[in-house]
Amino acid sequence: MKKKEENLSEPVWNQAELLDRVDHDQELLRELLTIFRTDFPRTIHSLEAAVAGGDLKNSASLSHALKGMLSNLGGRRAAAAAARLEESASAGDKASLKGGLDALELEAASLLPELDAYMTEVRR
Amino acid sequence: MKILIADDEALSRRLLESTLERSGYEVIAVEDGKQALDQLCKPGAPRLALLDWVMPELDGPGVCRAVRARSDHPYVYMVLLTSKGSKEETVLGLESGADDYLTKPFDPEELRARLRVGERVLLLEDRLVEARENMRFRATHDSLTSLLNRSALMELLVRELHRSQREKKSTAILLGDVDHFKRVNDTLGHVIGDEVLIEIASRLLDAVRSYDFVGRYGGEEFLVVLNSCDPNYAPGRAEQIRKSISNRQISTSKGPLSLTMSFGVLLTSDWGPRTVEELLHEVDIALYEAKAGGRDCLRIAKPAVKLEVSPAALPQAVRRRR
Repeated sequence: MKKKEENLSEPVWNQAELLDRVDHDQELLRELLTIFRTDFPRTIHSLEAAVAGGDLKNSASLSHALKGMLSNLGGRRAAAAAARLEESASAGDKASLKGGLDALELEAASLLPELDAYMTEVRR
Repeated sequence: MKILIADDEALSRRLLESTLERSGYEVIAVEDGKQALDQLCKPGAPRLALLDWVMPELDGPGVCRAVRARSDHPYVYMVLLTSKGSKEETVLGLESGADDYLTKPFDPEELRARLRVGERVLLLEDRLVEARENMRFRATHDSLTSLLNRSALMELLVRELHRSQREKKSTAILLGDVDHFKRVNDTLGHVIGDEVLIEIASRLLDAVRSYDFVGRYGGEEFLVVLNSCDPNYAPGRAEQIRKSISNRQISTSKGPLSLTMSFGVLLTSDWGPRTVEELLHEVDIALYEAKAGGRDCLRIAKPAVKLEVSPAALPQAVRRRR
């Protein structure tokens, strides 16, 4: 319960943190978001297949990869959801995989529109 | 400065690459641990490396272990990038040979500061290696001429004689002495004498091939060793070396000087298996004969020559040859 409260206190996207990380280089930020928009759907589809097949090893490694890319982009809430899924998979907790994936997809569904809106904004 | 980034995740790799390029690093970015190890094993490889912990093929700690297992390479300062946070994992990472670790997502300032620590460690290592090399040079070289000193010469000569015996080749040993060198010191002073020795050392080095060796045997005596030297050509080469001293004057701060050298020459093919000490004794006798024969010449040590000289007279005669 505590984890959930902490999570909700975080913004969906910490844009300021990301801008600091790229030294306010908008060009680089656009490039990173483009990489993300290619890599994220591919990785989450693979993760969905791994979870559906009860594949703990791949579920752990794919959620680890998602955790990395989401945290680099300042998507802390989605990154935290990916981290919880990775923990469940690494602990062999098959029963929690589906719930973990749903939570991750829910957070991603909040994050992606914000990133897209930013991309549209900076293109103008 | 070159730095290697190894991260299988494209976004993270690009972010690191950009941050480090902005900080002035020359970045090499790879996607897995195997490629990272390949890069770090190349000549002129980066000596700073940022390695993601979780990677395909070989993980970050695996790369660290493989790099540390090599003994004859320059030190590589390795930082593990990890989202793992437990003490056990930190210890495991450092035990694998990593110098530091950084938690992802990284803070650019912290990353730069930690890499500056790495650069300081590498600079310190470079200075230590340089100091060690200087000490090694001083221990094996003559401080005046920078030629090999006597003990280094002996060591190399033993090795060369074993090699030439094994390969059934001949080695030419030349022992040379500057004629009337005492007069230079007595009339012009030791500073000029030193200038002469430095120039002679330089000329002897110029007169031999890169795989021959030249050393200061003591005082104004020099030893030249011509490795794998065809016995038919050895006397001619020895003559060229001798003439490299006499064929032009030596410039000194008190004017040019005309100087010559006398040489004893020994071809190991003439002598069969002998100890270094025995061969040096024979070439010393030949040098004495060159001195006795008028100087500015060379004499070749032959086993038959030995029989013509009274053995009882030799040691004293050799000592008095100048």
